[in-house]
Amino acid sequence: MDAAACVGHGRCYVLAPEIFGDDERGHCVVAKPEVPAHLEPKARLAADNCPERAIHVDPDARR
Amino acid sequence: MSDAVPNPNPETGMVNLFDAEYARCPQPVYRALRSQCPVARQVFGNGPVLSRYEDVIWALRHPEIFSSAMDLQIKLGTERPMIPQQIDPPAQTRYRKILDPRFSRKRMAEIEPDVRRHAGELIDRFIDRGECEFDHEFAVPLPCHAFLSLMGLPQSELGHFLAIKDDIIRPHMKSLDLEEMGRIRERAGHGIYEYFGRVVDERRRAPGDDLVSYLCQAEIDGERLTRNEILDICFLMILAGLDTVTATLGCNVAFLASNPAHREQLVRDPALIPGAVEELLRWETPVTGVPRVVKREVEIHGATLKPGELVTLLIGASNTDEGEFSDPELVDFARERNRHVAFGSGPHRCLGSHLARMELEVALEEWHRRIPEYRVKPGELPRYSPGIREVQYLPLVWDRRA
Repeated sequence: MDAAACVGHGRCYVLAPEIFGDDERGHCVVAKPEVPAHLEPKARLAADNCPERAIHVDPDARR
Repeated sequence: MSDAVPNPNPETGMVNLFDAEYARCPQPVYRALRSQCPVARQVFGNGPVLSRYEDVIWALRHPEIFSSAMDLQIKLGTERPMIPQQIDPPAQTRYRKILDPRFSRKRMAEIEPDVRRHAGELIDRFIDRGECEFDHEFAVPLPCHAFLSLMGLPQSELGHFLAIKDDIIRPHMKSLDLEEMGRIRERAGHGIYEYFGRVVDERRRAPGDDLVSYLCQAEIDGERLTRNEILDICFLMILAGLDTVTATLGCNVAFLASNPAHREQLVRDPALIPGAVEELLRWETPVTGVPRVVKREVEIHGATLKPGELVTLLIGASNTDEGEFSDPELVDFARERNRHVAFGSGPHRCLGSHLARMELEVALEEWHRRIPEYRVKPGELPRYSPGIREVQYLPLVWDRRA
């Protein structure tokens, strides 16, 4: 998650609260940077709905 | 209707964004703009208009080229720029740091029960009548009630604020003379400064838990806000807080009243409502465009924008761009990928977006729970205002309970 790009739309923590949370300003905080396989679609959903394109899902990062 | 001249005119690249047909149904205009004139010019004032998704978000994210410091170009009856909307980063960022927490999703969830109760009370007033005029009986009072609660003001002030807000946003309802419109706005602006000046003085003496009291105590880098800074924030709250959710509610319900298959989806499965709110924000985009001032010469698609020009970033057009959205003219409440920018993008992302979303979701939930089947009154047509697309006349009917 690119914190410099986040402006607090809040789409990620609404659509995927298992992975994302929010700070005091309502900006994104990644609660679970290593996403378990069963939550990967949710991570993608959040990325696909971030107007700032601040979220990146890297399928190769998982060992 | 605007005779035979197409809007936009592909020959001249001119577009009329104040046309009544455009206000009612802007999507065909958007499509023509994106494909035929990605840098159009407005019939009124000749300002450039950007419509493609990539161009609009690029401009929104580059405030050093597309500035919000336009209080001198756009006369809204203010004596100084509205904070934080009409100032640029980095000063703007410092204000957002103290304002954002007051409008976070968590905080808005705290006032949700109050908004829901008020929505129910409004519906109680007309449900047995079997009809209502949606704008003035529901879409106007619901967000105004929330605004007055947040500001800690008595509900009896509602009429006063609505009159001021209309004088500033729609002075053309009273006069079409440019100078007279300016005077109407100035008078209303004076009224805002005077009224909130008294409120600020009172809250400094006896603070409550409302936004004005919070602003009286908030600090930026260890310093309290000045009285003028607080007034410049309050000015924006009136303009932003009283009109946009009203317009969005009207656009959404007008769409649902005319599209029974979509309406039935929400009645059958209320869990679709949050997705429907996003999709209708995308499709209807009631705040169709936002202005910016060009700071330095820039070339886009072979057209030159000159410093000082007032450019319109047509976020409504970008929200139906086939380059970004699959099947953009299909209204799909289960759309998986929806990066709409109805609340803007970049540093000026709508401060009230979480309040707006909550109000819109609560309104659609309560309405469809109580009045699942409704339609536009036969023989009548909803009336949309240009600029911010408020459906100022939306007569609805439904079958009365036996």
